[in-house]
Amino acid sequence: MLDTIPGVALAAIGLAVLAAYYRLRSDRPAMSFADGGTASVTVGLTGTEKPAGILRWFTTVDHKDIGLLYILFGTAAALWGATDAMMIRTELLVPESAVWNVETYNAVFTTHGFTMLFFFVTPVFTGIANYVLPLLLGADDLAFPRINAIAFWLLPPSLVMVRGGLITDVIGMVVGVLPVDVTLFEALEPVAMGWTMYTPLSVEMANPQISVALLGLHLSGVATTMAAINFIVTVFTERPPELGWDKLDIFSWNILVTSALILLAFPLLGSTLIMLLLDRNFGTTFFAIEGGGPMLWQHLFWFFGHPEVYILVLPAFGLVSLILPKFCGRRLFGFRFIVYSTIAIGILSFGVWAHHMFATGMDPRLRASFMAVSLAIAIPSAIKEFNWIATMWNGRLRLDAPLICIIGAMSTFVVGGITGVFLASVPVDLVLHDTHYVVGHFHLIVVGVIPLAMIAASYYWFPLITGRMYNQRLARAQTVLLIIGTFVTFIPLLILGYMGMPRRYGIYPTEFITLNQIASLGAFLLGVSVFLWLVNMIQSARVGPVVRDADVWNLKETGQFTREWQWFEDRLEERRGKVEPEGDPGSESETTRAVDPDDDAES
Amino acid sequence: MKRFPSAVAGGVSATTVMTLLLLLLEVETRSAMDIFYVIARFIGTPNDPAVGFALFVVAGVVAWPLLFLALEPYLPRGPDPAARGVVFASLLWVPFVITGRGDIGGPLLVLFSAYTLFAHWAYGFTLGAVYGRLLDRP
Repeated sequence: MLDTIPGVALAAIGLAVLAAYYRLRSDRPAMSFADGGTASVTVGLTGTEKPAGILRWFTTVDHKDIGLLYILFGTAAALWGATDAMMIRTELLVPESAVWNVETYNAVFTTHGFTMLFFFVTPVFTGIANYVLPLLLGADDLAFPRINAIAFWLLPPSLVMVRGGLITDVIGMVVGVLPVDVTLFEALEPVAMGWTMYTPLSVEMANPQISVALLGLHLSGVATTMAAINFIVTVFTERPPELGWDKLDIFSWNILVTSALILLAFPLLGSTLIMLLLDRNFGTTFFAIEGGGPMLWQHLFWFFGHPEVYILVLPAFGLVSLILPKFCGRRLFGFRFIVYSTIAIGILSFGVWAHHMFATGMDPRLRASFMAVSLAIAIPSAIKEFNWIATMWNGRLRLDAPLICIIGAMSTFVVGGITGVFLASVPVDLVLHDTHYVVGHFHLIVVGVIPLAMIAASYYWFPLITGRMYNQRLARAQTVLLIIGTFVTFIPLLILGYMGMPRRYGIYPTEFITLNQIASLGAFLLGVSVFLWLVNMIQSARVGPVVRDADVWNLKETGQFTREWQWFEDRLEERRGKVEPEGDPGSESETTRAVDPDDDAES
Repeated sequence: MKRFPSAVAGGVSATTVMTLLLLLLEVETRSAMDIFYVIARFIGTPNDPAVGFALFVVAGVVAWPLLFLALEPYLPRGPDPAARGVVFASLLWVPFVITGRGDIGGPLLVLFSAYTLFAHWAYGFTLGAVYGRLLDRP
C-alpha cells in the first residue's frame, strides 16, 4: 500500500501533523523571541524558565546546553569509533585474516577515520568552546544562538548517514525477526574505500551507501561551517569594551583561527564531495581520465584535508596553552608569540596539501616547494612547544590530572611532530608513504595531543559544569594509563613502518607479528583508560562530592581566577542565597545525590 | 513509585541499552559472532534464536530486576544502586560468557569477552540508576 504513495507526500503529512500538534498544544507559547525566550499566554505572567525534561534538550538555544549536547554527541561518536579501532587491532593480532574478512577490515578502518575525524574531534572541541567561550569573553551567549542549535542538530543525521550501512543492518536484523523481506535493508553496505575517498575507486564502487555517506559528510561540513561562523562573529562582536585583542585569552584565539580555517576549508570539501557524487550518479567526468583526472580529486581533497588536521589540533593547543599555566602558578610564557604561531600555522596549513601526494609523480619542482613549506610548519609548532616548556620552568607544578594530561600531550607532540618533519622530506616520504609509519605519526597527535587536551579540559572544568568533584586518584591513574597506552600502541607502528608494513591491510607477513601484538596490547590499554574516564565522569556527575568553593584549583593565589570561574563563583553565591533562608547549606551530606533539582547540569 | 515497578522500568531501559549494544556489535563485526545464537545458547534454546531472544527480553525486564531487588541490600559498592547494579551484572556475565561462547576462539574471544562484559555493565548500571532515580533515593 505504502509504495503507491510518493515519499514526498508522506513526509509532508508527517510534518503537517507535527506542525498541527505544536499549534494546538494547550501549553503552547503564544510567541517566541529571537533570543529563544518565550512569553506565556497568561496575561501579566512572563515565563523565563526552560521547558522541563527532555523537551529542554530538544529546544534549547543556551550555549551551555548546546555545548553539553555537542560533548555528549562527540563522546558517543568517539566510543563508536573506538569500537572500530579495537576491531582493527583485534584483526591485526594475527598475521592471517582470522577474525573478520578483509572487506570488513576495509570498512572498519574507513568508518573509523570518518567517525573520529568528523564526528568526534570537531564536535567535542566545538562543545567545549560553546560552553566556555562566552564565559571567557564575558558574553551572554554566542552571537547566533539559534544557528548554534541548528548547527548541532545537523550533526546526528549526518552521522546516521555516514554510518548508514550499519544502521540499516540493525534495522534489517530487528525487522528480520518477522517474516518480512529484508533485502532492502541489506542494499547499503558500510563504506570501504578509505577515508580519503580516492578516485577512481570511490567512483567505481557500486555500493549505494557511498553516495549516502558523501551526502552525510557534506551535511556535517555545513554544520561545522555554521558553528565556525558563529564563533568568528562571537569573538569579534561579543567582547566587552575593556577586553581588547591584546587581552583576549589564548583559547579564544585558537578557536578563532580554527574557525577561520573551517570557513576556508570545509566549503571546498563540500564542493568536492558534490563533484564526486555527480561523478558517481550523473555521469559527469570530473575525476575520470578524460576529464580532470584522478589527481584532481587528490588536490581538491587535500586542499581541505591538510587544513583539517590543523582544525583538529589547534583547539587542543589552545586548551594546553590555557590550562598549563594554571597548574604551574605562572603566566603563559611568550603569550604573543603563541598567538602569532597559531596564526602562522593557520596560514601555512593551506600551502602544504601536496605533501600527502609526494608519491603520485608530481613535478619535482612542485614537490620541492611543498617540502619547503611543510618543513617551515615545524617552526611555529616548535615555538609553541618551547614556550610551554618555558612556562613550566621554575613554576610550582601541581601534578593534578589536568597537568599530567598536558605533560603527556607535550611528550606525544614531540614524537608525533618530529616524525612529521621526517615525512615532509620528499626522499624519506617516498620510502615511508602508505606505511604504518604514517599511521603512527598522525595517531601520536590525534590519540596523544587531542584526547589528552580534551580530557585535561574535562577534568579542569568538570566542577564548573557539574558543580561536583570527580575522583582525583582515579583521574590521575586513568591519565597515566592513557599516555602509556598511546606510546605502547603507536611507537611499534613507527617501527613497523620503517620495516615496510603497508597501511590498510588486514593481513601481513609473519615477521611483523610481535610488534603488532604489542601495538594491540597498547590499544587495549587505551580502551581500559577511556572506560575509566567514562566511569569517573558518569559516577562523579551523579554522586560526586558537591563543590562549595568556586576556587577549585587555587587560582586566586596566583591571580589566574579567570572569568569563567568568576561566573561559577557568582552562581554558587546565588544558589547559597537561595538556600540559606531554608536551612544551613553545610548540613547536606557531601556524598549523596542532592534532590534539589537545581543541582542537575546547568540552568 | 513502588519498588517493583521501579525495578521493572529499570529493566526495560537496561534491556534496551544492552540489546542496542549487542546489535551494534553484531553488525559492526558483520555477524562474526552470531550474537543471537550466543543469547540462544545462554538461555538454553541453542537452535531457536527467536525464542531465545524473547526469553532474554523477559529475563532482562522481569527476572533479573526482581533478583536485583532481592539482592540489592547485600551487594557491595553501595549505597548507590547503579554501582550495585554493575556488581550484579558482572555476576550475570560469568555464565553468559561461558555458556554463550560456543566455538568463538582466538583473538575474537578477547573482544567478545570484553565487549559483552561492557554491555553487562551498561545493563547493570542502567538498571540501578533508573531504579534509584524512580525510587527517589540516592
